[in-house]
Amino acid sequence: MFSNLSLGFGVALSLQNLALCFAGCLVGTLIGVLPGVGPIATIAILLPITFGLDPVGALIMLAGIYYGAQYGGSTTAILVNIPGEATSVVTTLDGHQMAKQGRAGVALGTAALGSFFAGCVATLFIAALGAPLTKLALLFGPAEYFSLMVMGLCFAVVLARGSILKAFCMIMLGLLLSTVGTDLETGQERMTMGFPPLADGIDFAVLAMGVFGFAEVLRNLENTETRDVVRAKIGRLLPGWDDIKQSIKPVLRGTLLGGILGILPGNGAVLGPFASYTLEKKLAKDPSRFGKGAIEGVAGPESANNAGAQTAFIPLLTLGIPPNAVMALMVGAMTIHGIIPGPQVMTKNPELFWGMIASMWIGNLMLLVINLPLVGVWVKLLQVPYRLMFPSILIFCCIGIYSVNNQPVDVAFTAMFGLFGYLLIKLGFEPAPMLLGFVLGKLMEEKLRQALIISRGSFMTFLERPISAGLLVVAVAILVIALLPSINKKRDEVFTE
Amino acid sequence: MSLNQIERAQGLRVRSSQDLAAGLFMILLAGIAFVMSYELPMGTLRQLGPGMLPKSFAAICAALGALLVISSLRFHGEKLSGWSWRGVFFVLGAACVFALCIRGFDLGPIHVPQLGLAVAGPLVILISGLAADDLKPKELVIFAVVMSTACALLFKYALSLPIPLAPWLLGI
Repeated sequence: MFSNLSLGFGVALSLQNLALCFAGCLVGTLIGVLPGVGPIATIAILLPITFGLDPVGALIMLAGIYYGAQYGGSTTAILVNIPGEATSVVTTLDGHQMAKQGRAGVALGTAALGSFFAGCVATLFIAALGAPLTKLALLFGPAEYFSLMVMGLCFAVVLARGSILKAFCMIMLGLLLSTVGTDLETGQERMTMGFPPLADGIDFAVLAMGVFGFAEVLRNLENTETRDVVRAKIGRLLPGWDDIKQSIKPVLRGTLLGGILGILPGNGAVLGPFASYTLEKKLAKDPSRFGKGAIEGVAGPESANNAGAQTAFIPLLTLGIPPNAVMALMVGAMTIHGIIPGPQVMTKNPELFWGMIASMWIGNLMLLVINLPLVGVWVKLLQVPYRLMFPSILIFCCIGIYSVNNQPVDVAFTAMFGLFGYLLIKLGFEPAPMLLGFVLGKLMEEKLRQALIISRGSFMTFLERPISAGLLVVAVAILVIALLPSINKKRDEVFTE
Repeated sequence: MSLNQIERAQGLRVRSSQDLAAGLFMILLAGIAFVMSYELPMGTLRQLGPGMLPKSFAAICAALGALLVISSLRFHGEKLSGWSWRGVFFVLGAACVFALCIRGFDLGPIHVPQLGLAVAGPLVILISGLAADDLKPKELVIFAVVMSTACALLFKYALSLPIPLAPWLLGI
């Protein structure tokens, strides 16, 4: 493990990769701070730019954007009371209260230090788990892969916000959309209406940008949010000794919780902050302090958030299965550079695997340095009114989408998916699970076909093979548990809190 | 007895127009998918055909939609909320204008030359900016010029993406 890590640091510490890592972290923090621009849209925009880079550098930068956004999101949550990112929803509860009490600096400092600690632990965690999991992955045949993805989708249903039935609808819709395009085996066109741009299927970037870029703008235009940027002084950034003593245990628990949940396929990382907040509230001597500026309510969820964001790389790097939409874009970036994600990455491209892991640690260090001194700049940025923000988002999206394939028709398609996404939002659907279903759809179909060919058309193969059966049992169990009325009620509580 | 159970006893009526619409929407999408994949062969289990998965997914989608419809008749939920045409029209319209202008197009008698980012950029910002409630025209015009210049510098020169700038004027 240590020789591998030193190889990784050798790669990550080259001047070019350091610069790319820094650029990624800076851009990530920026978009994390700005509400309404997420890492999905940003990575999709920046994807064409990475064509000219070498694969290691490209992935280091994209990864930096992803975890940088997690840091940035908490700044907005604390200072403005709106989550910059979906994962920092919980931080608004106590973080903003702390800011109102004139302790914004301490809240920001605690969040940054907690995130840094969580990032370091998660990096070690990935390094330690990577090799054994890769060995395990080599035991996986098509049937196991299929069952694993089924399990991932079940997790995504359970972990999605809102009604389970609607989340289920979104997953199936994503799977349905993934079947558009040329059939891989027979070469027949499916549901393309004879329209040539659809022959390759729906472009993931187009779908993601439409549903998460344009539709978000439409959603935000509707509820003109009131932004109460904290006018009080930010105060000193470094938490005092008492604060550290109070937050050290929540940080440790949050890191562990977030790290474990992050590995789950099906975007478990989102659950981390919620779980950590609930746990801290349960464990606290005086739970009534929560929601009124309790430092544990910032330290725990923020660590969980960052740990989860990083361990989410584990399924991607070891099994080649993206656990969430951002990781799906990473798959796109890898395939563009001719790297097939999966267990063979570690043996065939060790410098990529370990370089990326080492860069995550370096990136976390950089984020600590970027974030704390630059708080003033971020506050200024947050005062830009939305009427100027969304045209900028729009022009970036247009240029980005156009550049992916140099196809103007892609931009029109994106607008169409924007309308589709807006419709989904209006109907009370949460579009994130759809994207995951869409991403996994093609891979699932391929593995299903392979498995059925091997088993000569018998579905029993999924139950006869022990690993596959185990994964399916977990999938069914999690669905049943989630549908039990008592748990269902609790789940609502966790997500509405 | 909970409120929902009391309500349930009073017969079926629409209790959540949002869920009802969502269910019907899923059924509609499933129907479209089913029609479009109608001619694709299903194949056998041993050798799945191209139509197997689209049709199965469509069937599941329709079933889920039906479940949503039923639940909308039994359980209370959100109502359908208003729809902002202004945002849809200007924001998505701006994107379509960008698609038409960036490389030009021919549509029957209408011919638009390749206008490039120099025209498409400001247009996107000006048109989409009209969607804001607190519109300030002067500010928007200045912002459109500044932002487009910044985008041209960033994407064309700093990141060297092959995007046409103003082929009709500068030849690049």
